[in-house]
Amino acid sequence: MRYRYVRRKVVLFVITLWAALTLNFLLPRLMPGSPVDAALGKLAAAGVTITNAERTAIEMQLGVPHGSLITQYWQYLTGIAHFNFGVSYSFPNETVAQAIGSAAPWTLVLVGSTTIFAFIIGTLLGVYAGWRRGKAADSVITVGATFFAGFPPFWLGLLALYWLSFKLGWFPIKGGYSPGVTPSLSLSFLADAFDHSILPALALAITSLSGWVFGMRNNMINTLGEDYVTFAEANGLRTRTVALLYAARNALLPNVTAFGLSLGAVVGGAVLVEGVFGYPGLGNLLYIAVSNHDYPLMQALFLVITVSMLVAIFIVDLLYVRLDPRVGQ
Amino acid sequence: MEDFNPLQAAELGGTRLIYEPLEIPSTISGVYTPFLATGYAFTDPTTLVYTIRQSVKWSDGKPFSAADVVFTFNLLKKYPAFDSTGIWSAITAVSASGKDVTFTLKSPDVPFADTIAQVPIVPEHLWASISDPVAYTNDHPVGTGPFTLGQFAPTQYTLKKNPSYWGAATIVPSEVVFPAQSTNQSTNQLEVVAGDYDWSYNYLPDVKQTYVAKDPTHNTYWFPPGGVIGLYLNLTKAPYNDVNFRMGLSEALDRTTIAAKAVNGYMQPASMTGLVLPNLEKWLDPSIPNTGLISQDRSSALADFTKAGYTQQGASLVGPGGVQASMTIVVPVSFSDWLAAGTEVSTELGAIGIKVTLDTPQYAQYSSEIQGGTFDAAIGGYGGTGSPYTDFDQALSSAFAAPVNTPTVNNFERFKDPAADQALAALAAATSPSVQMQATAQLESIMYSQVPVVLMYYGGSWGLFSTKHFTGWPSASDPYTLPTPYNNALLTVITHLKSAP
Repeated sequence: MRYRYVRRKVVLFVITLWAALTLNFLLPRLMPGSPVDAALGKLAAAGVTITNAERTAIEMQLGVPHGSLITQYWQYLTGIAHFNFGVSYSFPNETVAQAIGSAAPWTLVLVGSTTIFAFIIGTLLGVYAGWRRGKAADSVITVGATFFAGFPPFWLGLLALYWLSFKLGWFPIKGGYSPGVTPSLSLSFLADAFDHSILPALALAITSLSGWVFGMRNNMINTLGEDYVTFAEANGLRTRTVALLYAARNALLPNVTAFGLSLGAVVGGAVLVEGVFGYPGLGNLLYIAVSNHDYPLMQALFLVITVSMLVAIFIVDLLYVRLDPRVGQ
Repeated sequence: MEDFNPLQAAELGGTRLIYEPLEIPSTISGVYTPFLATGYAFTDPTTLVYTIRQSVKWSDGKPFSAADVVFTFNLLKKYPAFDSTGIWSAITAVSASGKDVTFTLKSPDVPFADTIAQVPIVPEHLWASISDPVAYTNDHPVGTGPFTLGQFAPTQYTLKKNPSYWGAATIVPSEVVFPAQSTNQSTNQLEVVAGDYDWSYNYLPDVKQTYVAKDPTHNTYWFPPGGVIGLYLNLTKAPYNDVNFRMGLSEALDRTTIAAKAVNGYMQPASMTGLVLPNLEKWLDPSIPNTGLISQDRSSALADFTKAGYTQQGASLVGPGGVQASMTIVVPVSFSDWLAAGTEVSTELGAIGIKVTLDTPQYAQYSSEIQGGTFDAAIGGYGGTGSPYTDFDQALSSAFAAPVNTPTVNNFERFKDPAADQALAALAAATSPSVQMQATAQLESIMYSQVPVVLMYYGGSWGLFSTKHFTGWPSASDPYTLPTPYNNALLTVITHLKSAP
């Protein structure tokens, strides 16, 4: 039984992956306008006078494909099979793999650690609020979470940037590290990068905290109504034991699924927040790719995003068989 | 993204301080500042001879010569991807003899000297052996310019003064630093205000409060007009192919309000002669009334619309067949000033009875609509080269007026008038100032009376300067170039700087 469940999930994974790959190929090409138009737009926005000669030269420099969609699709699929993602239009001298490789660590560390941090803190607050439902602590946590849930993270980021960086000068205004420094793993560089990551991390963590608080609090309240919790209380177990080992453990299940999904979404970066802070991560890269109609870079980024999302879902599915034996039957 | 290949579009801005062109014409007056050439002359209208500066050295110590210039232009011929200004569509040959370089033009084209003069020259002794120069990133640039590459990091690079530069004695800065810009405009604005920049280029609202007041003794700005923003009409479609209708639109607009809404009133309403004023005022034809300014006049607008077959019925302007005049204006959504102008234009045209829809796509779609000629009306810009010929040629030459669905970047309104082509050809061939003036006046009067584009206000050029370390920035009292750090004006300005007292 369990074997059939796993096999079904694997087949589903492969089909979804193919569909996602095809969409990743089609979506960028459905955008109106071409990479050449986008490149001219960048020059025009900078105030450069554009001529027909300029258009022709840019067409040649970008090497925009002229083959039919079918030919391009085939090249795209064989490219992926060989882990060859081509050359980016936005950074004509870099391969797509290099561009993604240099942006990925920034996003993985920033968005990954804030996601984990927000999940742990949010879940704990939710457990506490649920346990103390109707009390003052519950009100403070719930109202606070509602308040911050209303802030879009990029806007909180802009506010923080204006007050804490611009007005007070406590934090740097932009970037992942001080300008002019070459990234390395030295202590001084890591300290500098940490300093630059505080504000974007805060903006992301505070706004994503609320989701975990609400989810966990509601699950807790449901679980607390179950007979086994009443039974445990009646047996005279200590309050903390009942709250954490009996109620919270079972209430955690739905949040684990959500956590898996949000870990999968980490690689998509936080496009707007990274944009506001000029953070050199995948979100910023995606923004650059889209605004330049950079097909190769967009395809590869979408690929990374969908694959990590699919893998996260797949792992959560498999994990669930262990966490909740009823699923595999 | 280290890229110091001066012939690519993706080059880093500082490349312009490492390589020099022959000469740089001012984007305001067209006056030349000589660099690798000491002068030029047309021996006849199709033969252009540059005299090359002597005893110039490349930054690796090798001597520079006329052969390097010929090599560079032949490189553009061999690799058309480099020829972004269309050199080889206008010339047939280039050759060197002693310290002279001679260009042979296909047809008389005196203003084309501007384009030839601005090609950055690369060293033959290094570039001859590069197998794929188009993809070459040139990490260790060797040029003749006043600066060489210092340190490079992904978010900032530094150029150092080139001690063997031929004009080293007059170069004041010892170092030029280029920090990377953010993709977020508000973040960049905050940084300009908070930062310690000597020169930045950014549109700031209420600049006296937001920038000058931060350091009143040093912070200054200069926002001269750098082009013309107008309402472009698709001349292949009715009713825009009727000059009376276009004239009506022009008189229905209140340009002062449009300029105020679009650019905070920093810029003035534009002259319908097509000249960027006051930059090019020496070319202005005095017989055109009121320097070509058109003010809002509803009754004369309605008279023009009547001549085009449109009359006001109630609140609507109704044309042949009893149909209300309607127009879709396309504006790129990321250009906030154009968007504000478009919104004001649709309000004002709505008031006279035209049903206006604003279409606000991303730039790439806007660009394919206007270039393909499928649009009704569009907000767009032109000009600012400092040369009346180049400005008028891009706006009016029928050579650019491609059929609908064949993309054209210039003259996308698709204006065709044999008189304009003749005047352009006459201006191109003219070497005497009086003939040049006569042909320019003719083009001004075509712009003024045919209304190929409803010009509205001047596009701004947003220079922000600090005089803490350097003086000699371009300004209203010394307008030697537009304050634009992204083109050759960078080299002109840096070589003009003096130490602050």
